[in-house]
Amino acid sequence: MTSKHLKAGAVFAAAALTASALAGCGVGSGGDTIKIGAVAGLTGQFITAEVPKTAQRVFDDANEAGGINGKKIEYIVKDDAGNAQRTAQVARELADAGVVAMAGSASFTDCDVNDGFYRQSKISSVMAVAATPKCFQSPNIAPVNVGPFTLMTAVLLHATQKLNDKRVCNFTVVLPGSEDAVKEALARWEQLSGQKLVVDDQTVQQSGDLTPYLLKAKQERCDAILFNPAEQLVVPWLQAAKTQGMDDVDFLLLAPAYTDSVAKAVGGLGLNVYAGSEFEPFTSDSLANKGWRSAVSRGDAQPTAFSQGGYLSAKFLVEVLKTIKGEITRESVGAALRDMTPIEDPMLGTPWEFGPGETHAPNQASKIVRLTGLRWVVVDDTFITVPND
Amino acid sequence: MLQLSAAVAGLVTGGAYALMGLSTLLTYRLVAVVNFAQAAVGAFGAFAMVGLHEAGLPLFPAVACGLVTSAALHVGLGVVMVRWFAEASEGVKAAVTIATFTGLVAVGLRLFGAQHPRRFPSPFDSPAFTAGGVVVTWTAVVTMVLAVLFAVLPTVLLKRTRIGLLLRAQSERPTTAELIGIRVPRLSMVVWGTAGAASALAIMIVAPRLAGDFGSQALLITPALAAALVGGFRSFAWTFVGGVALGVLQGLASTVVVLQQYRGVLPFLVILVVLLWTRRRDRWDSAA
Repeated sequence: MTSKHLKAGAVFAAAALTASALAGCGVGSGGDTIKIGAVAGLTGQFITAEVPKTAQRVFDDANEAGGINGKKIEYIVKDDAGNAQRTAQVARELADAGVVAMAGSASFTDCDVNDGFYRQSKISSVMAVAATPKCFQSPNIAPVNVGPFTLMTAVLLHATQKLNDKRVCNFTVVLPGSEDAVKEALARWEQLSGQKLVVDDQTVQQSGDLTPYLLKAKQERCDAILFNPAEQLVVPWLQAAKTQGMDDVDFLLLAPAYTDSVAKAVGGLGLNVYAGSEFEPFTSDSLANKGWRSAVSRGDAQPTAFSQGGYLSAKFLVEVLKTIKGEITRESVGAALRDMTPIEDPMLGTPWEFGPGETHAPNQASKIVRLTGLRWVVVDDTFITVPND
Repeated sequence: MLQLSAAVAGLVTGGAYALMGLSTLLTYRLVAVVNFAQAAVGAFGAFAMVGLHEAGLPLFPAVACGLVTSAALHVGLGVVMVRWFAEASEGVKAAVTIATFTGLVAVGLRLFGAQHPRRFPSPFDSPAFTAGGVVVTWTAVVTMVLAVLFAVLPTVLLKRTRIGLLLRAQSERPTTAELIGIRVPRLSMVVWGTAGAASALAIMIVAPRLAGDFGSQALLITPALAAALVGGFRSFAWTFVGGVALGVLQGLASTVVVLQQYRGVLPFLVILVVLLWTRRRDRWDSAA
C-alpha cells in the first residue's frame, strides 16, 4: 500500500518537475513576447482576483488584434496572499521573469513594500487599485483609481455642496502609515469648503462594538458622518446607527463600501447612505461602462469597482505601448509613460496620465452613489472633481 | 452623560464577551483544555447557518444546522484530544488548539469569503427600551439573559448533580476516573459537542454587531480568554463579570480622548493585570 503510494508520488513528482522544467525553458527562450506583471491577492484575507482577470481579457483582446508591433503580450500574475513578504518576493520573481512594466496590480502591500525595488529596477506600474499613500507618492507608480484620500475630500465636498450639511463629522480608521494622507485630505476639504469638522475622530478601532462612536455623533448633532472602513465594518456601523434612530443623518462612505453585498445587507434599513466611486459607478448601465462590461463578462470575472481598475490600467498601458517605436524595454516603456499625452476616458472624470512627475495621482474625480432600496443608484451624473489648491 | 451612554452600549458587547468567555471556561472546566479555537469553531457554525439561510433554508432549521456543525467540529477536536493528547500537559493541548485555530481561520476565509459581509439575521433587533440616551435592542437583552444562563447552569450542574460530579472527576483525573468505571471518552464527547454548539450560538447572536468577517469573529477568543482569566479559569460568575466589565471598559474608553485609540488592546491589558495580580505572591526565584 505504502510503496504503491510512494511510487505514485514519485511519478507525480517527476511529471511535475518535467513540466516545470519545460515551463522554465519556455520563459527563458520567450524573448518575442512583451511581458507584463501584476501583484494581486488571489488568496488570503483580501481577494482581488477579478482585477488581473479583467486586465488579462484586455491584453488578450490586444493580442487577438495583432499585438503590439506584431509582438504578443504575456501577462504574468502573481499572488501575494496579502502577505508583505510574499509581496516582496513575487515582485522580484516578476523582475527575474523579465517584465517590462506592471499593470493591474491590486495588492495592499505592493506600494509600501516594492516602491524602492521598482525604482531600482526601473519598473513602472500602472496600478489598478491603490489604497495606501505610498502608491500616490512614487515616481514609478501611477494608479488609475482615485484612492481613499482624494475620495475622502470628494465625498465631504458632496456633503457640503450638494446636501448642504453644516455639522460634518469624521470617524476614520487610520491604518499605520496613512496618518498624514488622511489629515491632508481632511485639510483639503476644510480649505475648499471653508468649514471645520465638528467631530474628527481618527482613532476608530476595528474591533468591538461601534455604538459609542455613533453616540458621540448623536450628542454632537452631526448631520453628515464620514466613515472610511470596508464592507465588513460598514454593515454593523449602519445597523447600529439604525438602532440608535439616526434616520436623518447623511452617512458618507468610501469606495470599499460601494459593493452589491453592502447594498443587499443594509439597503433595507432606509438610512441616507452615500458612497464615492473610484470610476464611472460600476452599477451604472451607462455607455461609459460598455467596454469594461464586455471585458469583464468575456473574462468571466466579477463585475466590481476593482475590476474597472484592472480594465483601465491594462487599457491605458496597451495604448502607451502602441506609441513606442523600436524595442520595448523597461526603459522605453518608462520613457513612453513619462512623455505620454493624457488619455481621456469616459470612465474617469479627469484625464489619465503617468507623466514625468515625482508623484502621480491623476484621477481626482468621483461620482456619488446613493443607497436606494437594495441597490446603489447614481445621484448626480457628473463627476465631482477635487480642485487643485 | 456620554460616558453613561457609552457604558450602557458597552454592556451589550460585554454580554457577548461573557458568552464567549463562558463557553471557553466550560471547555476548560470539563475537559481541561484551554481552547484557543473556541470562537473559530463557533464562527464556523455561525457562517454555515448564514450560508444555509441565504440559500433559502428557514431561520430555525438553519440555526439548528449551524449548531450541529459547530458541535460536530468541536467533537472532532475532542476526539483528537482524547485519542492522542489525553495524557499531555495543558500547554501541549493549548498548542494543539492554537494550531486548530490557525487552520480553521484559513479554511473559514476560503469557504466563507474574506471581504464580503454576510447578512446575519438579527431577529431580535427591534428596540427594547432606551437607557441613558442609548437605544437598547432585544438582542442585547437576549445576550445578557443567555450569558446569565451560561454562568448559572454549569455552576449548578457541576455542584449539584451526579453528572457534574462525574464531569469534574474526568476533567481533573481522567485516568483515575476511567479506572473507576466512568465512561470518560463518551462523556467528554458530549461536553465537547455542547461547548461547540454554545459558542456557535454566542457568535450567531453577536455577529451582526461586530465586524462581519470570519477572521474577526474567530478573534473574539481574545476578550473571551480575558474574561475567563478574570474568573481564574474556575468561576463562572466571575467570568461573566469579567466579560461584561471588559465590554463596559471598552465602551468607556472610546469616550476618553487619550484612551480611545487603545480600545483594541484593552483585553490584553486586562489579561496582563489579572496575571500580575493573581501571581503577586509567587516568588519568581523559587518558581524558576
